[in-house]
Amino acid sequence: MNIPTTTTMFDERTVQKTVVLPLLDDLYRVALRLTHSNVEAEELVAETVARACENITTLRDLTRAKQWLMRILTNVFLSSCRSKKRRQEIPYVEVDDDDDTASFSLFEALMQYGADEGNPERIVITKLLDEEIQSAIAALPEEYRAAVVLCDVEGYAYQEIAAILDVPVGTVRSRLSRGRSLLQKKLYHYAKEHGWTSSANLSRKGKTNNGSCQCEQD
Amino acid sequence: MDHASVNKISCRQALALVAEYLDKELGQLERAQIEQHLELCRQCFDRFEFERLLKARLTQLQRVEPSEPLRKRVELILEQF
Repeated sequence: MNIPTTTTMFDERTVQKTVVLPLLDDLYRVALRLTHSNVEAEELVAETVARACENITTLRDLTRAKQWLMRILTNVFLSSCRSKKRRQEIPYVEVDDDDDTASFSLFEALMQYGADEGNPERIVITKLLDEEIQSAIAALPEEYRAAVVLCDVEGYAYQEIAAILDVPVGTVRSRLSRGRSLLQKKLYHYAKEHGWTSSANLSRKGKTNNGSCQCEQD
Repeated sequence: MDHASVNKISCRQALALVAEYLDKELGQLERAQIEQHLELCRQCFDRFEFERLLKARLTQLQRVEPSEPLRKRVELILEQF
């Protein structure tokens, strides 16, 4: 994308169109992954664009326009989740970034029912529907969801995610770790529903890898 | 970086770094240690491959595009400022 590098080169209206419209696809994609609803994603994007226009003078470096817009989008998303829960009188539970309990591994769980031939763990990944994966993402606590979407779906680096979410890099690591663990737990639930973890469907049981393999390295 | 200059790591150490390895967040030395370990350890290799495929599956979720009404709405918002 060819965009100007300083705000002084163009008037604000030109900047808004040059910056926002080329990034609309990216904004909508992230909004949809976060909300799992076309209607809510469209509202989120519209609100983001309006806020971006109001605050366009705070954008100093146009090469960072995408990160700046993603920061506005995730802020609007997280704020709206908090106020929605307040309106519904559902207590908004802040995630505990120091909680060190996340450790579920879909791989380990599926390995309990490994087949004699092929790679059943890999088959499960290919068989899972987009809708199931999207639902599993949508079921994550909002802060974890934002980190997982930005990293695994959008491919941002930890440092960029830290800047977008305005949290330390260590917090990004812990949110990703807990978010991925919960995501894998949910996907395992779908695999069980499909019967892919049944020993009747997958013939060999008991093949495990709990971090203590037989190689000389352990 | 040749293998002789890389300290060996255990399965537990390798598995603790699986996410950061796949996210390309490790330095050259740690990457080399993991890659050397994966050459020797089939079970860790399988685990890393599984996590790589799962991450790729998330990245490859069906592409979505904003609807025409949303495009027009955004253009309208931009016009108003």
